[in-house]
Amino acid sequence: MVEAFAVASGKGGTGKTTSTLALGMALAEEYDVTVIDADTGMANLLFHAGLSSVDTTLHDVLVEGGAPVEDAVYDRFGMSVVPCGTSLAGFEAAEPERLRDVVATLAVDTDVILLDSPATLGSKSAVLPIVLADRVVVVLQPTIPALSDGLKVQEYAHSYGTETAGTIFNKVTDPDDVQSVAEKSRRYFDGPTLATVPDSDAAREARRAGKPLLAYAPAAEAAEAYRGAARDLDVRSGAADDVADRFRSAVIPEPR
Amino acid sequence: MKLPSGRLVHSRVVDDPGSALAAALDRELTGYAVLEPQETLLLAADARGVLTFSEGVPVLAYHTETDRGGPPALADLAVPGPYRLELVALSDAVLTDLHDTPALRVPPGMPAERLAGDHDLAARTRASAPDDRVRESPGGDADSDEPAQESAVEAFLEDEGKIEAIREQAREEARERASEWGLDDVCE
Repeated sequence: MVEAFAVASGKGGTGKTTSTLALGMALAEEYDVTVIDADTGMANLLFHAGLSSVDTTLHDVLVEGGAPVEDAVYDRFGMSVVPCGTSLAGFEAAEPERLRDVVATLAVDTDVILLDSPATLGSKSAVLPIVLADRVVVVLQPTIPALSDGLKVQEYAHSYGTETAGTIFNKVTDPDDVQSVAEKSRRYFDGPTLATVPDSDAAREARRAGKPLLAYAPAAEAAEAYRGAARDLDVRSGAADDVADRFRSAVIPEPR
Repeated sequence: MKLPSGRLVHSRVVDDPGSALAAALDRELTGYAVLEPQETLLLAADARGVLTFSEGVPVLAYHTETDRGGPPALADLAVPGPYRLELVALSDAVLTDLHDTPALRVPPGMPAERLAGDHDLAARTRASAPDDRVRESPGGDADSDEPAQESAVEAFLEDEGKIEAIREQAREEARERASEWGLDDVCE
């Protein structure tokens, strides 16, 4: 079974990468999980996962005659992690539409794929993860700009046939306040509120230590919130071949 | 509120009001900021938010369309971006007269909290504020027609018309871009 989720927010600074890895580690207790840094222009998952010095990244795979995807897969923290490089040259050379084949290849051998998605909707490569995913997990903060951008992400996703799996309120400083914001936002966002994650020094320290939050501070309140999100996420089964075929046949934008 | 003319020091499009507050703080602006939402779909064409600053720290808030000041003006101002932001520098003397309007005053950290939900920026702003302003109470309008603690975020979520306009605009944008990007076939 395979289901691909895009973890997206449309706005930077909401903690998408922290959320992707935390959700991935929590889901890995039950499923075989593959996490892909699909933010090919502003990659940062490698820093969160202690992979900043690896030789082969997604950038090397997304070029004509590039490395096989297997070379960019690293077993870390109980997951398969596909980091992306950070060089501008790497981004410019990469052909984002090749992401479809990467996902299709990895889909054969995993249960859950999480695509850490770009914090923008402004280009073909930026919307691609949302187009390719089955469902989107929208990462929000209880602020007007973040909610507004989250709504845009959801509308884009729905326009491209991708459903909403649920929302995560991240970096929450006032738990009482967020309950009422989450309650009111439920009218507009499909799927459950998977978690309200407290703003946490542990998350910042984990990033500095190059470890996912659940590895660095498994007992932190924020880590528990992500485990709760993983429990509430109803992963749907789909045959791996079907998913691979679907990705291969997905209509993909022309190269930039 | 009649705005005195001054020296335009910064003019650009910003994504959210937090950028305006950070820009004013970083420049230690003494003057005012005008925020004009670009989304005419959502608001009357002449809707503008005005914040005044003393050495980068917000002092007054006013909204031209609703004619409200103080914390209620912050709620009116809290709409999705982008905005056109203009920062205008004024002399201390001109600003001192303007600031003698207690009803429009906002505590230093409140704009960052209410408009951007940015606690770090609010803390930074409070740290830059003179001691006598750190515990300032909100302006006189605060209790007249809205509780001072009303969350701008909740008010935003209760405005179904505004939310629907954002969604409709995003759907249109997604459709237009799908055709631009050769994604027509995946569009539902």
